[in-house]
This record gives sequence, structure tokens and C-alpha cells, in this order.
Amino acid sequence: MTALLALAGLVVLILVNVPIAIAICAVALVGMVAAKGDLGLFNAALTMFDGATSFPLIAIPLFILAGALMNTGGISKRLIAFVSALIAFVRGGLAMVNVGVSLFFAEISGSAVADVAAIGSVLIPSMKRRRYRATFAAAVTSSSASLAIIIPPSIPMILYGAMADTSIVQLFIAGVVPGLLGGFAMLCLCYWFAVKFDLPREEAFSLCRLWSAFKSAAWALLLPVIILGGIFGGVVTATEGAGLAVVAALLIGGLIYRELDLRLLHDALIEGVTQTAVVMLLVATSAVLGLYLTELELPQRLARWITEATSNKYLVLMMLNVLLLLLGMILHGAAAIILIVPIVLPLIQAVGIDPVHFGIILTLNLAIGQQTPPVASVLVTSCAIAKTDIWATTKVNLPFIATLFALLMLVTYVPIVPLALVELFYR
Amino acid sequence: MPMRTAARWLRHLLESVTIFLLIALATIVVAAVGARYLFNSSLPWYDEIASVGLAWITYFGAALAALRRSHLGFSGFMLSLRRGGRVALFLLSEAVVYAVLISLTYAGWYVLRVMADETLVSLDWVSLQVTQSVLPIGLALFVLAQVLSTPEAWARVLAGRAVEADEIEQEIAKAEAGLAAGDTRPSQTQPKEPQS
Repeated sequence: MTALLALAGLVVLILVNVPIAIAICAVALVGMVAAKGDLGLFNAALTMFDGATSFPLIAIPLFILAGALMNTGGISKRLIAFVSALIAFVRGGLAMVNVGVSLFFAEISGSAVADVAAIGSVLIPSMKRRRYRATFAAAVTSSSASLAIIIPPSIPMILYGAMADTSIVQLFIAGVVPGLLGGFAMLCLCYWFAVKFDLPREEAFSLCRLWSAFKSAAWALLLPVIILGGIFGGVVTATEGAGLAVVAALLIGGLIYRELDLRLLHDALIEGVTQTAVVMLLVATSAVLGLYLTELELPQRLARWITEATSNKYLVLMMLNVLLLLLGMILHGAAAIILIVPIVLPLIQAVGIDPVHFGIILTLNLAIGQQTPPVASVLVTSCAIAKTDIWATTKVNLPFIATLFALLMLVTYVPIVPLALVELFYR
Repeated sequence: MPMRTAARWLRHLLESVTIFLLIALATIVVAAVGARYLFNSSLPWYDEIASVGLAWITYFGAALAALRRSHLGFSGFMLSLRRGGRVALFLLSEAVVYAVLISLTYAGWYVLRVMADETLVSLDWVSLQVTQSVLPIGLALFVLAQVLSTPEAWARVLAGRAVEADEIEQEIAKAEAGLAAGDTRPSQTQPKEPQS
């Protein structure tokens, strides 16, 4: 009963528009003070500090810093030029460039909105100039940016890994195959749209131009090799890999390309540090709620109720998918991860679902959630850049959402798809 | 007007502190990797200090985010109400925020007194009073930021406008400002005219 009251209180406070981190803390504080008086309050303060000192989460601000350096040091621009030289000759090539660039960016900056703004501001006006419909340009930019969150390095995965005490490196590697499959499916869908809308080709493929773009982008292309090679090769941890990414981005943007714009970098750093703090405050307050819910044994009780009804893990996965899709529609990804993971983790363990597998399922659900109004900041940003209506864009976006959903079903019910590389290299 | 000036000063202060902390954190992590691979020696204090650094970024950054009202929330229900309903929910929401923050600031300050004799494990000359002081200080700054950002938040509530809408506009403006200074084409060459 107390647990239900606490959850109802949380829902009410969120509806009242109390910031989610404060709402989480308010519910836990009331419960803890009611149970233990002042001691509960002091315990909450101690837990809040400890909650913000999670070592694996140091990777978040560092990847954000690396992303800011990439965006302001001329690296992103060269990646766009290279991908353009590689695939823009195909019919509907600019849409495919959009997908390819999004996969490269892969949500490094920590803010999907900032990434969509950076990529969309370059590509959407170009697409519109080349007779692409504004709704299609917005839809492809938005969907491919969301797919990028399952491709390493992914900040939602770092967050999940820390919350669920699961290997972040294994999560990163589990995202590779689904990410590539999703990217390929989106490229095919772009081609289908290109034929349907009679979209243009860009200039003919030129080996010379590709070589020139490659030479210009070679250092930029080296960046993911350094980061992911170091992490997957076991040379550095995910956190240290993020530190190396900062150094590499600084050297490439500052010394090699000499394009580091300090004013833009300053703005990007402020944005990055704010994003980090917003996520980390949620993590810290969720530690307080986690302590309170553990005292109430809510996660354990929930796991017991559900496993008494069914122990079929595929049925449980289906229920979780429905819950996560609904949550993703109304909450920001980080908030959804922080709220749901501590509650469902005992259930995941009870029915024998691999936590790495669940991490990919969770991330994909949140990717779909970013595409579905009412809360769809990525879609809204794309529409604002394309100057188009959200609902009209959503109609065009449906095939892309369906692609993401098909990928979710594949990942959910064929676990070998995300886990093959993990099994091969780490188990 | 004095509130606006105070908000600007607080923003400059918090921005300077958080950027310094972020650069320091990156330096510590890189130094630890360098020490391990270049000098074959580890820095025993690295993970403890880096973790404390993250907590400092969290609480000073949270105050900065409060100044911009950037903390994640769900404004959809409130914005769907008429003006009177929006105002009532805004006042209720503010009351909850102040109650939680002031309680935790007091608790954070109280806990510091209890920690008078405790130190970090890896650096026993660094008192926990210093490392954990960020909780009451950061939360007090959060309260101040919340107060100073009230006029703008109030205006948004009256106009029925979401914070997210302003943020999206700002992001696009920034990206477009960045483009104005650089290359605006996805390809290095000009695209052809549309095919008929």
C-alpha cells in the first residue's frame, strides 16, 4: 500500500510539472522521514552525495566534451563531406548521407537535440534545395539520430550500465550489430522513398573526390578507431576511452585542422556540463528513491507478482516492451532509464534475461519513444529546422518508426543478434 | 532589473566553476591513463578524486541548469490547462521544489558537522567535510538560481509556453550561427540542378 502511494505521489508530482529529479526526491524524503524522522533526512543527504560519485558515469561528461570538440573543431564537417562523397551518388543520396552521418555522430554529444540541430541545420536545408519534401527531410533526420543511440559510444547505455551494474563495454559491443542492421534498413527505406518521390541523385561517383574527402577526413575517421579500438581491445575502460577521445579531438581539431572555435567551444561546454548535471542529478536522487523502494521491497515484490503469473521470459519481455514504449512516449530517455531500471532489475534477473540483452532492448524502446509525440524532442527539433508540422512529419515518419520497431522485435526475440559479438569476444 | 543582474553574475560564476571542473576531470582521467601506459605506475587517488569531481560537477551544474529551468520535467499536462490552472500548478510545483531543496541543504550541512574527523581513503589529508561540502553549497545555489529564474518562468507560465520550445530555438540558432562561420554544404562541391 505504501509503495503504491509512493508511486501515485510520484506520478502526481510529475504531472504538476515538478522537475523529475526533485519529484523523485520528494517522494523518497516523505517516506523516509515518516519512517525514521530526522535520521531519514540525513540518510537521504548522504545517499544523494554518494549517488553522484559513480565512477563509470564519469564517461558521460567526457564523451560530451569530446562531442563538443568534434563539433567545433571542424571534425564533424569533414565527416559529412566524406560520407557525402561516399554515398551521395545514389538516388536519394542526401537522405542516405543523413543516415550515415548520424551513425558516425552516434549521440556522442549527450544531447540528441544538440546532435539533430548540428546535423539537421546542414543537411535539411540542402535536402529542401534539392526538392526533398520538408516532412521527409525532418523524418529521416529525426529517425536516424534516434537509431544512433544504440551505436557506441552511447550515453543511455553508460547510464543503464551504471544503474544495472552491467559491463558498459559489453553493452557497447552488443549495440554494434543491431545498429548496423538498423542503419542498413534505413538506407534501404531511403532508397524506397527516393524512387517513390523521384528524388535526385547528387553528382556522379568520383574516386578522385572520394579520395580527396577521405584525405581531408582521415584524422576525423581515426577518432572512432582510437576510442572504440581502445575500449573493445581492453586497453582502456569506457571512462578512460572517453578521456582519450577528448585528447584526440583536441589534437585533431586544434593542432591538425586548426579550426577550434573557442567561442563555440565555450558554448558547447556550457551546454554539455548542463546536460551532464541534469542527468547526474536524476541519478543522485534516484539513489535516494532506490534506497527507499528497497526498504519497501517494491522491486522484489513486483518481480514476485509477475513471476507468479508467468515465468515465460518472452511474455515478460513483451510486457516490458509495452511499458517501455509508453514511458518513452512521455518521458525523456535518461529519466525513463533512471525510473524503470531499479524497479524492473530484480524481475529481469528472476526470469533469466541477460542484463546486456535487456540494455539494448531498453535503449531501442527509448529511441522509438523519441519519435512519438507528445514528448519527442528530437522529432520536434527536426520539424523546427525543416519548418514543417509535427503531425504531417509523423505520418511520413511512420515507415521509419516501423523499421525501428521491427528492429526492436528482432533484438527482443532473437537475442543472438545483439549478443553474438559479446559471446564471441567476452564470454 | 537587480534580479537579472544577479542572475547574470550567478550564471558567470557557475559557468566558470563547472568548466574548470570538467577540464580538471578530463585532465585527471588522461593523466591516469598516461601514467599507467607511459610510466607503468598508477595514480592511487585517481578514481576517488575523479568520482568526487563528478559530484561537484553534478551539484554546481544542477544550479546552473536551474537558472535556465532546464531540469527534465513533464509540462504537457500543466500547459493543457487554462491560465488559472497553470498558475495554481506552478505555485504548487515551486513550493515542492523549495521544500525539498531547503530540507536537503539543511541535512547536507548537518551531515558535514558529523564528518569532522573523516578523510578520503586515498588522500588522508583531504577531509570529507571539504569533498561533501558541495551538497549544501550546491543545493543552496540551486535555491538561489530557482529564485532568480522565477520571473522568466512566471512569464512562460502566463504565456503557456514550454521551456523545451525555447531550448530547441536556442539549439537551432547556435547550430545556424556555427554554420554561418563555416561550410554550409554537405558535399565539398556544388550539387547539380534538380533533374526533371
